[in-house]
Amino acid sequence: MQETPLISKELFCTQVIENQEAMFRTARAILRSDEDAEDAVQEAICAAFAHRGDLRSPEKFKPWILRILANKCYDACRGRRPTVDLTEVQDFLPAPSADPTERMTLWQAVLTLNEDLRCVVTLFYYEGFSIREISGILGIREAAVKTRLSRARARLRLLLREE
Amino acid sequence: MKQFDKELKERAKNEPFPLPEDYAGRVFRTCAALEETAMETPKNSASHKKHTKRWMAWAAAAVAAFIAVPNVSPTAAAAMSDVPVLGALVEIVTFREYTYDDGHSSADVSVPELSGGEAADQVNEEVQAYTDRLIAQFQQDCEETGEGYLGLDVSSEVVTNTDSWFTLRINATRTQASGAEFIKIYHIDKTTDQVVTLGDLFQPDADYVSVLSDEVRRQMEERMAEDEAAGYFPDQFTAIAPDQNFYWNEDGDLVLVFDEYTIAAGFVGTPEFVIPQDVYASLVRS
Repeated sequence: MQETPLISKELFCTQVIENQEAMFRTARAILRSDEDAEDAVQEAICAAFAHRGDLRSPEKFKPWILRILANKCYDACRGRRPTVDLTEVQDFLPAPSADPTERMTLWQAVLTLNEDLRCVVTLFYYEGFSIREISGILGIREAAVKTRLSRARARLRLLLREE
Repeated sequence: MKQFDKELKERAKNEPFPLPEDYAGRVFRTCAALEETAMETPKNSASHKKHTKRWMAWAAAAVAAFIAVPNVSPTAAAAMSDVPVLGALVEIVTFREYTYDDGHSSADVSVPELSGGEAADQVNEEVQAYTDRLIAQFQQDCEETGEGYLGLDVSSEVVTNTDSWFTLRINATRTQASGAEFIKIYHIDKTTDQVVTLGDLFQPDADYVSVLSDEVRRQMEERMAEDEAAGYFPDQFTAIAPDQNFYWNEDGDLVLVFDEYTIAAGFVGTPEFVIPQDVYASLVRS
């Protein structure tokens, strides 16, 4: 019935483990807490495995599973109320550091960005995807990826180069 | 702007990324719990057996990947003990960790501790002595260079874990301007509870060092003949160490492993040579 053979469980799991950091980063860029991100990753793994017949070529595993994950994250966002409570706002702020002169890490800076910018930045700088690939993963137009990327870059420059 | 982009990509690559403590364990357990669905062809018992075996091999490989994840903790080690392949004689009980970061130099050492017999204890002691040496050297280098940018990264990998054999590989990378990678591989013969080094594989009076060295040199020359930019130095190679690092690959072949820079240019990495069985068959201890 299938034209392409199904990816085996071993290969699937190996790929998941290899991409686990990218998956967490992507989910955390869209969602507000580590716990929500972990839940989304878990759901995405199960959903991806159930639909592994849709994966046409194994070398596209990473963008394929990140797209499924991004959709899970958007579903999770839709399910929650639009208010923000103050303890969650703290998650966006750079973690208080023992030494105030210590510089901010890139990830701390990324977490201060708006939600729509965070994900684009993560996929571009951490995962090395092209603008076209990001457009495919997030389901937004390439022009929108470019705009967000340039807004994010300007903001990061302010945050990270405060000399 | 290009310069800033480059800087951001570098930082994304090099800065340590904080994963939640049990995240890797959760991913692993989620994977392990996935069930093959009716989408697949029905299995007869033989293929099912084969499948289980392959799955175990995957679990062993995944454990290796799992250990390399930073911030592993006793919780992660506990999650791993659910993995059937580690249930036998030798298992990882916890991880010994050392981290250091002063803003310019950093170290991240995470090595497992094994349990399961005298050989496991012996490997623990050797691994500890080895990592203690690396850490002491790193601390001394830090003091000497002051504001220098030094790095030490030590991780491990379970290469083999069968009913009869356990192989643990420790990968150490020292960074000072450029990096150098060192490898130590430990073997336990579970049937005898003995730590095994290369010499133990051969008859006591066998000249395995010359035989294996000749084969390595032959393969180096062969690689250079195929591609003169391959980066090996066959002329400068004298012999393998009597306790040269080795492991058994998936096909059951002996593979010799060399540290970076020792027998080839840095870009080659840590060279490996698969030694055909007929090269050493007559020397093997029966």
